[in-house]
Amino acid sequence: MDSVLITQGRVIGALVLRETRTTFGASQLGYLWAILNPAVGVALLTAIFTAVGRVAPFGTSLALFFATGLLTFELYKKLSTSLMVAFEANQALMTYPLVQALDVIIARAILILATYILVMFLFFGGLIALQLAHLPANFEEVAAAIFVTSLLGTGVGTTYAVICSVFGTWKQIEGILSRPLFFMSGIFYVPHKFPPEIVNVLSWNPVLHLVEWMREGYYPNYNSVVLDKPYVLAFTLISLLVGFGSERLYRKSRAR
Amino acid sequence: MIDFINVYKSYQLQGIRKTILDDLSFTFPAKKNVAILGHNGAGKSTLMRLIAGAELPDQGRIRREVRVSWPLGFGGGFNGKMSGLENIRFVARMYGEDTEAVTEYVKEFSELGESIQLPINTYSSGMRARLAFGVSMAVDFDYYLIDEVIAVGDLRFKRKCRMVFENKLEKSNIIMVSHSARTIKKFCDSGCIIRNGKIEAYDEIDEAIYEHEKNQDN
Repeated sequence: MDSVLITQGRVIGALVLRETRTTFGASQLGYLWAILNPAVGVALLTAIFTAVGRVAPFGTSLALFFATGLLTFELYKKLSTSLMVAFEANQALMTYPLVQALDVIIARAILILATYILVMFLFFGGLIALQLAHLPANFEEVAAAIFVTSLLGTGVGTTYAVICSVFGTWKQIEGILSRPLFFMSGIFYVPHKFPPEIVNVLSWNPVLHLVEWMREGYYPNYNSVVLDKPYVLAFTLISLLVGFGSERLYRKSRAR
Repeated sequence: MIDFINVYKSYQLQGIRKTILDDLSFTFPAKKNVAILGHNGAGKSTLMRLIAGAELPDQGRIRREVRVSWPLGFGGGFNGKMSGLENIRFVARMYGEDTEAVTEYVKEFSELGESIQLPINTYSSGMRARLAFGVSMAVDFDYYLIDEVIAVGDLRFKRKCRMVFENKLEKSNIIMVSHSARTIKKFCDSGCIIRNGKIEAYDEIDEAIYEHEKNQDN
């Protein structure tokens, strides 16, 4: 018998490849769409704002400003919503003695993170090649922002998945509750241009912090008034603890 | 070694609680082919799922230090949208087997021909069963779990299944649930009777069958 870690690594590897196949469909075109989708979102926002004659809320490039916001937000959003349905989507797999529920979650998270890293790489690379953006000012901070975003998405997504397994309607409720997040995460504005009362309310949202983190890393002189790294790190850690802890707690009651 | 340590398992359905295993501590005898006997609803299939790890006990622990298969011929873990080949590769990767070798073996065994490249959704139930059986045989397990089904397909294919399976038995062991005394006698050398949440183990299969039949008469 191999050691537990080797076995789990192998299982997760096999699951990632399987997920790739099942989420993107049979053709290579499927993966292309997954990459194009967020890019098109950014392009669309840029086109609309340019058409109404708006300038970038920060820096010179609208596309770069939206990309730093939207891609970070989408990474979080994609993780939290697709992990939410990870259990039910893979229920059949649980009959394989080797596969544990968490393996499915981890495999999905890895695939989504890898996809988004590729998307960002291509998108920012494209902007730089078109001279619409500069290289990130502080690469480590950008990487850290992406990493923490993926952890928060994983923690929240796992928590959602457990809630869903106990209470199926959560999916619909989450859809409604998370709708305002798109407007509250600083995708198309700079929060420090708002009055302090509004900033105070907005700064409860950890995703806003992550967007600000991303921008502070990317722009040389962003200086966010919102970003509070200990807050967002604590939030992330708690979401992971709650997610993985409740998965363990409800493992037995979950119909398998 | 498969070890049950103080295992409790019960189900609650519409307010009625049914206890399947009640503080069961039991070690499956090593290197033996074990038949699991019991009344309908005594919990034989649940016991199998617990052994496989597809279900968790309410309390207690189950230790497995051997490679246990999923129930033989079971294809429920297959993904309908993926082709036969992709499903085979997935299982092979998961178990760390040589993907090429497993694929070749299953291709040859299942006789699916070109269909192996089609999504499983398009398969008939017989084709699906042949694929599942082939995959079970391609991976080397220490223990095969068998819930009634020991061969699939038409008569000729069933014969082939049995032949391959008997070959497997030279190296692997089985844990089997069956209502056919003949099948049990053929494959198993010891037996366990599951009754009232406990297991009674018998070293001799004939003795186990005798006891089981006596229980049935009461």
